[in-house]
Amino acid sequence: MTEPGAGLPVTKEDVKRASAQALEIPGADAVEVVVAASATGLTRYAVSQIIQNTVRNETRAYVRVVVGDRVATASTTQLTPDSLARAAERAIEAARASRPDAEFPGLPDPSDVGKADPVFRWDEATAVRTPSDRAVKVREILAASQATNAAGIFETSAHAYGVVSSLGIDCFDAYTRCVTTCLVDNGESTGWGDASSHDFDRVDVEAVARRAAEKAERGRGARDGKPGTYEVVLEPAAVGVLLDYLAYVGMGAKQVIEGESFLASRAGEKVAADGVTVADDVFHPESVGLGFDLEGVPKKRVAVIEGGVAKGPVTDLRTARKLNVDPTGHYSGSSEYGPYASNPVLEPGTMKVEEMISSVADGFLVTRFHYVNVLERPTTLLTGMTRDGTFRIRSGEVAEPVHNFRFAHSVLDALASTRGVGSDVAGFAPEYGSFGSAVAPALHVGEFTFASTTSH
Amino acid sequence: MKDLVIKALDSAVAGGASYADVRGVDTASEALSVRDDTVEALDRVHSSGFGVRVLVDGAWGFACSARLDDREPDRIAATALEVARASATAIARPVELVEEPPHIATWRSPFEKDPFSVALEDKVGLLLSATEQMSNVPGIRVARGTMDLLRQESWFVSSDGADIAQDIVHTAGGLEALAVDGTEVQTRSYPGSFRGHFASAGYELIEEMDLPGNAQRTAEEAVALLSAPSCPSTTTTLVLDGHQVMLQVHESVGHPTELDRVLGMEAAFAGTSFVGIRDAGDLRYGSEHVNITADATIAGGIGSFGYDDEGVEAQRVELIRNGILVGFQTSRETAAAVGASRSNGTMRAEGWENFPLIRMTNINLLPGAGSLDDLISDVDDGIYMATNKSWSIDDKRKNFQFGCEIAWEIKDGKLGRMLKDPRYTGITPEFWGSCDAVAGPEAWKVWGTPNCGKGQPGQTMRVGHGTSPARFRNVTVGVAQ
Repeated sequence: MTEPGAGLPVTKEDVKRASAQALEIPGADAVEVVVAASATGLTRYAVSQIIQNTVRNETRAYVRVVVGDRVATASTTQLTPDSLARAAERAIEAARASRPDAEFPGLPDPSDVGKADPVFRWDEATAVRTPSDRAVKVREILAASQATNAAGIFETSAHAYGVVSSLGIDCFDAYTRCVTTCLVDNGESTGWGDASSHDFDRVDVEAVARRAAEKAERGRGARDGKPGTYEVVLEPAAVGVLLDYLAYVGMGAKQVIEGESFLASRAGEKVAADGVTVADDVFHPESVGLGFDLEGVPKKRVAVIEGGVAKGPVTDLRTARKLNVDPTGHYSGSSEYGPYASNPVLEPGTMKVEEMISSVADGFLVTRFHYVNVLERPTTLLTGMTRDGTFRIRSGEVAEPVHNFRFAHSVLDALASTRGVGSDVAGFAPEYGSFGSAVAPALHVGEFTFASTTSH
Repeated sequence: MKDLVIKALDSAVAGGASYADVRGVDTASEALSVRDDTVEALDRVHSSGFGVRVLVDGAWGFACSARLDDREPDRIAATALEVARASATAIARPVELVEEPPHIATWRSPFEKDPFSVALEDKVGLLLSATEQMSNVPGIRVARGTMDLLRQESWFVSSDGADIAQDIVHTAGGLEALAVDGTEVQTRSYPGSFRGHFASAGYELIEEMDLPGNAQRTAEEAVALLSAPSCPSTTTTLVLDGHQVMLQVHESVGHPTELDRVLGMEAAFAGTSFVGIRDAGDLRYGSEHVNITADATIAGGIGSFGYDDEGVEAQRVELIRNGILVGFQTSRETAAAVGASRSNGTMRAEGWENFPLIRMTNINLLPGAGSLDDLISDVDDGIYMATNKSWSIDDKRKNFQFGCEIAWEIKDGKLGRMLKDPRYTGITPEFWGSCDAVAGPEAWKVWGTPNCGKGQPGQTMRVGHGTSPARFRNVTVGVAQ
């Protein structure tokens, strides 16, 4: 853990100074202020040149007020005492127009929920990277890819979050992130590589570019594969997406209460193979996130599936009270969407990818998925496409490339038929937004259904 | 804000930008969500800031800030210039912009009743009366009502001399009923899924929708779905309602005709397109019934505006004429690639904090003739699907699978049994090629989808789609596993 210094988009003192007036606003019984600030430099390249290049400084302050048993929130992008006080007034006006909320548990009391320690997944060298530094990295990617048509990003960012309340909540945490992606299109096929870490120096752009180029080269001459149910080896990028969707459809307490999560009917049941443990764990070394949720409750590691057995969901104060359990510190900032598992981790196993492949007599190797969406929440049935490298496995060896498949398969069914979990994990940034991460190994899945194919 | 954006523009030009534009944006929004008898969310958002886009040595730079003090315009302009100079170290071809007259204008979206002037108590009360009626239907686990209101004022100035102020108001509302039986969940929405119907309009939209008057039927359909038979897996005639046609147009026509995708600029994230720039004028995209425009000028569309986010005047552009691809959505940077001397005005940015990208405006399937009943009456054996529920399409926008909330059998020209979990799949040009009827103007409606994602950093855009129900022959339906 490194204490943040240079490059912080907002300091703990900034948060306190800007919030002080709002926390004492007349007319509210309790007030909470959440400040989220970021400084993000994202250099985007395509057709092997930089096409877009942005530096974004963003700050948002969310003021939640309680008036009796009514609650409302107002937010502003202006981090000044006056702006936050005005936001508090707008929230009070809204709360008064609202209705009593019998299920609102009140704002967290630090004497009940405890004090949250920051994770500080912070690297100062990453926080202070310049546009020139990022351009250098893009040139290194382009050189290593040896491609005339490479596309992707190189991004560095610094994020800080503060939560303070009139009840005494006082939390601050910060993290950095460096993300690079590379897609190589050789005119006949495409290949993919990516890397993500909180530490700029751990992102090996040349390795990412070489991997993308090698995948693309290996994909030449692809033909249609035959849809059906197969044994597959899913590389970490593919598994990371499945994890994100498992978190989305089934790991939160609100989905349990509303009957949409698999945990509503299958908690305590065996839902996955013995070697499968899925947790929300911001403390995992590859995770990037905060030590508390967006109401200042300390975040806990929550094993949602442990040794293949379904356990319980992540909760916030509201849903924990409803389920009569302790809160796990996963308030998403919205009672409408409920608590969220923003740092899903599939715990590593013991197998190397090469071992997985060597044990498959007839199956497929999947590099990653594209445009995944939910078909049925309670069963975790998803659909999506494979992309940037799908290969036949024959007699334990990677054989010919095939055109992309559409899959239609349940995440839980894939985990239930899992025959091996990779020993190496990779961290992934979310596709949208900057909050959270996924940590995933490769998976050897016994049965995975490809429903149709496409022309490339 | 106006003084601030001018100061940033002057600073960017003085610092060496060959072209610069600055957008200041001030957005106020209100989101209400009611669940059963509880106000689940009542959020008021205010966002203001500015973004500076510059060209230096043929390369783009962009920087933005929410700080509105006197020193920030110079600092952000200098950062944008620094970014552009870094970009210039890795470009193969310098950016060139096609000409656009420097417009000096003010534009306001039309509406009758300012949604922010309506008392919050009344909005909450309306939603609660609707959710109460849904909750009273046995079998309903969750009854939800939502309202989303937005007002966005923006100022755009450019080194070409453009000076444009715009003021846009959007209103949205909708209902969702969740019915649960054991491990099965069924959802029914009104008038559309994913927070209802979005339009460039005022509160009159909410009043016209009559949410309470449609609440009970919506809930009853959700419950009925629990005991309905599943949609069979077969190849049949498919009739889609306007809401699902909206999603079909969005994913399989809107995105593939974005010229930045066609040119490979989105390859690593959202993907590219099965369409090439040489396909214009030749490619048969669909049957002769398929006529599709990009039109930023229509009333009610949340993709309507006066000028896009690089100062190009709103236009109506043909994308597909009688089934043949004839155009693309372009920008000042990309228009020349298809031989155009002018952008057709589709560059849009989410808020002040983003670089504008080619985004859909209102992508419309033009009406044909007749009613939904007419489409159905010509079907001996088929399926009618309504209200989008899920979507997925490959990175070139060919292989798609969509799901709807509800369906009905069609037998001998009439609707029969209700069916649950309806899905269909296809390949884009084959699917549009199978379109043999589009309903007429009386069935045509401009829908809005507020959550179109694209770009890195990711931007969410509000886009519109004018559609009416349409019929497709020999479609694979019921595909899941």
